[in-house]
Amino acid sequence: MSVLTAKTSPWMRGAAIGFITLWLLMAAFPFVWTLWGSFKVQGDFFSRQDWLNALYGVQTLAETGSSFTGRGYYGAWVEREFWRSVINTGIVTGFVVVISLTFGTLGGYALSRSTARYAFWILIAALIFRAMPHITLLSGYLLPFFQLGVWGYLSTAIIVLVAINQPFTIWMLNSFFQTIPKDLDESAMVDGCSRFQAFRLVIIPVMWPGVITTGLFSFLLAYNDFAVTAVLLSQENQTMVPKIASFMGSTQVQGNVMFAVSAVVSATVPLFILVLFFQRHIVSGLTAGAVKG
Amino acid sequence: MATISLKNVSKKWAGFTGVDALSLDIADGEFLVLLGPSGCGKTTTMRMIAGLETISDGEIWIGDRVVNTLEPKDRDIAMVFQSYGLYPTMSVYENIRFPLRVRKVPRETHHERVMRAAAMVELGDFLERRPAALSGGQRQRVALARAIVRQPTVFLMDEPLSNLDAKLRVSTRAQIKNLHHELKTTTIYVTHDQIEAMTLADRVVVMNRGIVQQVGTPMQIYDRPANTFVAGFIGSPAMNLIEGDIRSGVFTATNMRVEGLAGMPDGPVTLGFRAEDAGVADRGGQISAPVYSMELLGDASMVTVQCGKALAAVKTPKDFRIAIGAPVGITVPASICHFFDARSGHRIEHPGKD
Repeated sequence: MSVLTAKTSPWMRGAAIGFITLWLLMAAFPFVWTLWGSFKVQGDFFSRQDWLNALYGVQTLAETGSSFTGRGYYGAWVEREFWRSVINTGIVTGFVVVISLTFGTLGGYALSRSTARYAFWILIAALIFRAMPHITLLSGYLLPFFQLGVWGYLSTAIIVLVAINQPFTIWMLNSFFQTIPKDLDESAMVDGCSRFQAFRLVIIPVMWPGVITTGLFSFLLAYNDFAVTAVLLSQENQTMVPKIASFMGSTQVQGNVMFAVSAVVSATVPLFILVLFFQRHIVSGLTAGAVKG
Repeated sequence: MATISLKNVSKKWAGFTGVDALSLDIADGEFLVLLGPSGCGKTTTMRMIAGLETISDGEIWIGDRVVNTLEPKDRDIAMVFQSYGLYPTMSVYENIRFPLRVRKVPRETHHERVMRAAAMVELGDFLERRPAALSGGQRQRVALARAIVRQPTVFLMDEPLSNLDAKLRVSTRAQIKNLHHELKTTTIYVTHDQIEAMTLADRVVVMNRGIVQQVGTPMQIYDRPANTFVAGFIGSPAMNLIEGDIRSGVFTATNMRVEGLAGMPDGPVTLGFRAEDAGVADRGGQISAPVYSMELLGDASMVTVQCGKALAAVKTPKDFRIAIGAPVGITVPASICHFFDARSGHRIEHPGKD
């Protein structure tokens, strides 16, 4: 901003605005294209004759009698029971967020207030686990999970996702907690709180932006996960992302690709709403961690 | 209301002793100031009393209980922090009320008690504000109100004035003194500012490197410092300390000769005197040296001379003027002199003095 408000020539200003507009269009184009195309038939969206068919919907008009069709959505949601995956995703993300935040706030707080030297090494270990590709963990999990008979259940996927996510949440929340001066806990404890009351009544209210930001990242991890859910969940327990992948995998059947496209749109909409809703908290959470200190 | 006793209290970290075998009895209703430079262990001592720091060794008694293993909340204390420690998400009113709320004080008494505490520190107009919307002095007063609202047996104050500007510091200091006079609650106050210590304290504990140097009333500490550390720390300016020798009742150092010390043992010694006790001589004087610097303070003029490595400051009347470099004689009669062991720094009483 400050670059623009300083005395810049109108040319520079115009160029900057032009660049940003162009960038916005390029960034938004795939989403808009997919949203538009999800209301067409496969013959249009993946047209071999003319890509403009995707815009005008020539085949769609011929096949359904209208330039827009909800067939993709009907096929995905009703015929292939995409709604089950939506519920599964809801369960998985809900539990992952709640469990991650519970342990993350408690652990992050404890580590931020610990004077022990091992606290640092725990955090470093957390970072290393976070950095590993998820798939490296899975190959090890698969056999024991089969033998224990826990493969395929949502709860198994939840536990694994929490395990993968937890180092990150602890790390992030720890750095948020470190920005809150110790004096605050201490005055609460002198005022009559136990350690846990000080945490609950004084620290957490100050921490809200940090908790929400971290919660959102946990949500996105669980919501977007493919590696864990694809490998660990049985067919009927699949969440949205592996379900969409399975639509893609059966391209021989005419129309199934459109199931995938409409399912993708269905899966993206909640994200937009969520980010818009929490947008202010996220920004304040991110900057609070960075600036105050 | 309670007495506090510290019995051989120590705080050790790996390879470092923060507080070394400190023993202290604090009377009921006393205003005790822990004074010393940063890192001397004064804040650690207070934090051990508060229960925010574990005790490595020794016992702390509050009233008739050993509190060593008690949580801070069970010690019936209130503390004012240097950074105030106000709760940013609560209004001033809720901040003051917080101790009552968490301690389950009957709800119907809250409002009255909060209002009374707020009135005592003149905060009535700001009760609905958040701490962020207050000035430093106002935040300070919120912290004070939060401490007094519950009427604990002990107040602990950790450098409460050091984040205020100079003018506000003076008025808040007076307010704290007045509060103590009204509430008569045992108070322990930590500061590195000797003027705060002198003005507020019933008794001052001077600490250095984890060890108590001297305990006494402000006047005792000022008039009879127990060692060179206390002498050099208390007073503005601090006591002049000059290293020299005593031979048969005469102290000599560079540019300096004090007679009339019969009864003092011979040998190296540190002589101390206060700037305001000495004066410029018309003729002669125990120190004769060129003026090193000349400072106008408004209410007085400060003349400094060199005696060997040491600088000696003398307070003169405000209209006294002298050029830097001009020779000057300074009267330092034996009666104003303090003596300290040259090696240990301990005070040596000299028999010639009353």
